[in-house]
Amino acid sequence: MRNSKTEYMIPEKAPELQQGPEWLKKQRRQQRETFNSLPLPQRGLQLWRYTDPARFVFERISDDIAVNGRFEAAKTVEQKHLRNGRLTGLITDVAGREITAHGFEEITAGGGQVSSLATAVETHFALVEPYLYSLVNAQTGKFEAMNGALWHDGIFLYIPDNLAIEKPIHLLRQAGGPGSAAFPRLLVVAGKNAEVTLIDEYGGGPADDTNGAAYSNAAVEIMAQDDSRVRYISLQRQTAGTRFYLTHRARIGRGAQMLTVPLAFGGALSKQNFGVILDGPGADSRMYGLLFGSRHQHFDNHTLHHHAAGQTYSNINFKVVLRDRALSAYTGLIRIDRAAPGCEAYQENRNLLLNDGTRAETIPELEILNEDVSCSHGATLGPIDPLLTFYLGSRGIPGPEAVRMIVGGFVADTLKLVPEDIRERISGFVDERLEAL
Amino acid sequence: MADAVNKQKQDLSSLNEDYASRYGFRDPVDYFHKGAKGINHEVVEMISRMKKEPRWMTEVRHQALDVFLSKPTPRWGNTELLGEIDYDDIYYFMKPIENQQASWDDVPEYIKKTFDRLGIPEAEQKFLGGVSAQYESEVVYHSMQEDLKKQGIIFLDMDSGLREHPDIVRKFFGTVIPATDNKYAALNTSVWSGGSFIYVPPGVEVRAPLQAYFRINAENMGQFERTLIIADKGSRVHYIEGCTAPVYSTDSLHSAVVELIALEGAYIRYTTIQNWSRNIYNLVTKRSTAHKNATVEWVDGNLGSRLTMKYPCIQLVGEGARGEILSVALAGKDQHQDAGAKVIHAAPNTSSRITSKSISKDNGRATYRGLAKVHKNAANCRISVECDALLIGEQARSDTYPTMEIDNDRVRVEHEARVSKVAEEQLFYLRSRGLSEDEARLLIVNGFMEPFTKELPLEYAVELNRLIALEMEGSVG
Repeated sequence: MRNSKTEYMIPEKAPELQQGPEWLKKQRRQQRETFNSLPLPQRGLQLWRYTDPARFVFERISDDIAVNGRFEAAKTVEQKHLRNGRLTGLITDVAGREITAHGFEEITAGGGQVSSLATAVETHFALVEPYLYSLVNAQTGKFEAMNGALWHDGIFLYIPDNLAIEKPIHLLRQAGGPGSAAFPRLLVVAGKNAEVTLIDEYGGGPADDTNGAAYSNAAVEIMAQDDSRVRYISLQRQTAGTRFYLTHRARIGRGAQMLTVPLAFGGALSKQNFGVILDGPGADSRMYGLLFGSRHQHFDNHTLHHHAAGQTYSNINFKVVLRDRALSAYTGLIRIDRAAPGCEAYQENRNLLLNDGTRAETIPELEILNEDVSCSHGATLGPIDPLLTFYLGSRGIPGPEAVRMIVGGFVADTLKLVPEDIRERISGFVDERLEAL
Repeated sequence: MADAVNKQKQDLSSLNEDYASRYGFRDPVDYFHKGAKGINHEVVEMISRMKKEPRWMTEVRHQALDVFLSKPTPRWGNTELLGEIDYDDIYYFMKPIENQQASWDDVPEYIKKTFDRLGIPEAEQKFLGGVSAQYESEVVYHSMQEDLKKQGIIFLDMDSGLREHPDIVRKFFGTVIPATDNKYAALNTSVWSGGSFIYVPPGVEVRAPLQAYFRINAENMGQFERTLIIADKGSRVHYIEGCTAPVYSTDSLHSAVVELIALEGAYIRYTTIQNWSRNIYNLVTKRSTAHKNATVEWVDGNLGSRLTMKYPCIQLVGEGARGEILSVALAGKDQHQDAGAKVIHAAPNTSSRITSKSISKDNGRATYRGLAKVHKNAANCRISVECDALLIGEQARSDTYPTMEIDNDRVRVEHEARVSKVAEEQLFYLRSRGLSEDEARLLIVNGFMEPFTKELPLEYAVELNRLIALEMEGSVG
């Protein structure tokens, strides 16, 4: 494949390594060293069985970050939402390089911080240094180390204790042009009893845009302190040629509630890893995901619920719809530590295959080290029940429309688990994918 | 009900024995042949020469040894325990007596005593169609009912099978599990000895089960039996194997290869009760091929060993083939049962069901590792996988790693898994009926295992319940 060099090393002179205060430069150098010293992950290992890691080693040959028309259009729409009071704030992120914030008066007035990460590392040492690299770093893996060394700029959000932000914050991000590589990074710190909703949109264009051949490797770290309530919607709408890699980790404290909604629609090759660490009694994490794959799209998704504290609750519902020659590999791990009694953990993965030629792999894993537990998972794979299409046909509903209805019903199950205000925001994007069926 | 449980409790206390005294005894043996430790081409050549094998088998062994030496230790599973195996410190071939016996009276006294204590001849008289008893590397006793012979059924140890039916063996040997499949299959292919060879002619039904009993006696022993079962068109056979060994402070290795071939319309059931002592590494490859309308069933119980890695597999290659795998694992102190099942659907209209039950106790670890694969051309398949795990004790661990790879849209795949402890409500209910906590727990565990025990011949089911009860004793607190 063009531009992939498995023996690629991050050069000592990479400009990003010289960015930031001394403590950050030291971190970047360590991340670089780990990246350069680690071999590519072995294909035999669980998380790489279906995806060639060599496809994510990418040497940037272009710094083209020209925004495309579709990004501008999406930005216009979100700015309108902001003006109409439907958003708390909007941040645009072009190729992990140009970060611009709009709105956010409510947060800054309440004592919070919204800024580019490159600024925050200089001005908010005490808020950034303890958390940056604490969840996604060189220990996580080779590609996480790559982001850790080479991120240029990112987004930093701090919501202070007891501040509840009702309207969502929209992060609109775009990968660079053909041959470019972006390393977006997001750090969110939600204080005790704080409340916030984030819609993190990657791509900013419909999935049918075929002129991108860019690479994006993103890292997301969310610290949700005791009793906070954080909702994080990850909307992956990369353009059709993009290779996308994302590692998300959230640590949630005592009594905190986390809702994660991974929506995977775009890109040529997309490997996303969502993980929540339940770190205090009463922590509650729910993850409701949807994936639509078509043409030759290749999706590889992981979810992790790590119960590090007792009396915690997690629930995952991940739905996959595939057609044409699309492939989805899903690996979901529930881990319950020895020191975590009294946990409940549930996981469900359903796959709907719309035609022959699609491929679905599902590996729902459990690692349980404590007897005081209630845990279950379920997975199903199958086609549309021909009885359903037959019935709809007998009611005069033609084939393609019947399929849309049935798929709509299949995903509605998961959507209705999402709180209504968010559901309204994301159902537009889901409908867009349904109409493309 | 309380009476019944009390009765069982009494039986238990009168037993008052543990593995060490029931199965863990050892015999002082003057071996007919005991080679040096370690493995190389000379050892392989020597085994083959002592067995007076045809040259092609010697070649197969040498090639397999090269595969074994070139393949790395698996990088998945319990790599820590796998790394502890010292291949240079193992006896690869031990021949206890010069010739196999067909009459129980001719078996040397010490071996006879061993199998008497394990209850083998008794079982043979009661309900078995044929018995084979393997001690270290070779089968020492073999018998089969006369009427089965008349029907043309072949039931031999594998060495005799190769001598007497070289054409059948050559045609099927290594076709289901090639030596290149994995490191341990390669090791077995290079040093295999003993095991069973069964051929059932077309349309013949073997009414009583055939049984083999495997015993490792020596320390640092490697047992590498090789079993090949061919059920010709429309035939039926049920094969049972049991395994035990003495308790030693150093480890022994058991690495078997079992190949089953069910031709059109045939039925094979293969039942294993593995109760190796806790110093045995049990690394076994078991695989079957089910042709058109054939049925293969694995009933696989893992109670013993230190580490077991075993995933019985069914390849459904003919239309209408059916497969069922029932896997049970009990992981007690210091044990890791890494067991599971694989079904590979390579033909349309095939169906399979996997049921896995595991109990982890003390610091035991039970892992379910499975694969359900549907190939492109295999339309209208059905797969159902169900895993249940029970955890008893704060140090217990349970893992579930199922993999489903589906390349066809006209399939129905369902997978479910549950992990829990013994439910407080159930315990409370039983105790309110006057049962002690121990009794209540035993009753619940027996109920949990019932889907497995009810598939076993009665004698085995009773034995299994007794083993579970022993394992459960004093598990409260």
